[in-house]
Amino acid sequence: MEPLNDDELKRALGEWRAPSAPASLERKVLPREPWWKWVMTGSIRIPVPVLVAVAAAVLAYVAMTRQPPPQPVRAGTVSLADFQPVQDAQPLVFRREQ
Amino acid sequence: MNRADFREAFALHKDAIYRFAWRMTNSPEAAEDVAQEVFLALLRRPDGYDPLRGQLRGFLFGAARNQVRKRWREETRWSELDDEFTAPPMDIARGETASMVAEAVQSLAPLQREVLILSEYEDLSLEEIARMVDAEVGTVKSRLFRARENLRRALAPLREVKGTYGTVKR
Repeated sequence: MEPLNDDELKRALGEWRAPSAPASLERKVLPREPWWKWVMTGSIRIPVPVLVAVAAAVLAYVAMTRQPPPQPVRAGTVSLADFQPVQDAQPLVFRREQ
Repeated sequence: MNRADFREAFALHKDAIYRFAWRMTNSPEAAEDVAQEVFLALLRRPDGYDPLRGQLRGFLFGAARNQVRKRWREETRWSELDDEFTAPPMDIARGETASMVAEAVQSLAPLQREVLILSEYEDLSLEEIARMVDAEVGTVKSRLFRARENLRRALAPLREVKGTYGTVKR
């Protein structure tokens, strides 16, 4: 019987397909970490445009909602220069009826 | 190699390592065990991989090969490592093309089988394979040649199957 030629052998070998790695392999090699550990040590990838947009939105929100700080009262600036006694005081005296 | 690098390496190479082990052992369970051992060894001893000595892919294939051979050793199949092995012709009545090819490749001597699988299915260069199996490029080339010759003969009955190659020869 005549052996297969290169082309035929290539095609025949192509017929034998292997499966991908099963999901169970990932579970064995990469066991899931407890959520609290992920919170403590985990990291996430954020695309730079998303990060910039979120940062800009946060800054804009902070700027819009920010109240001007109250002016501090400085004790040393109080002046009594224009302070004058009352000119025409008309005191009313109420007496308790006997 | 930190944890994130390891995860990336696992995602990138797990299928190739599993496929290689699956083809070498002809067993999904054994292939999974081999792949698991390969990646856990990398996780435990990341220093074992030296980037100066080649790509990570080659290193992982080499580790998978060692695991497969370790299994063979445990199953006392060393006698089958004979490099001069000649595969017998296939019986076409027994199955479809894929299973016939699988059987023919499985019937190769392991040293021929591994170079054939790495070259034909995983597209590794002769130099990469030589580094991995710790042999000269010429040795790898001759093993590959013998593996192909064996398969040409073993799979010759495929010509008889109508439609497999578009012609029928009697």
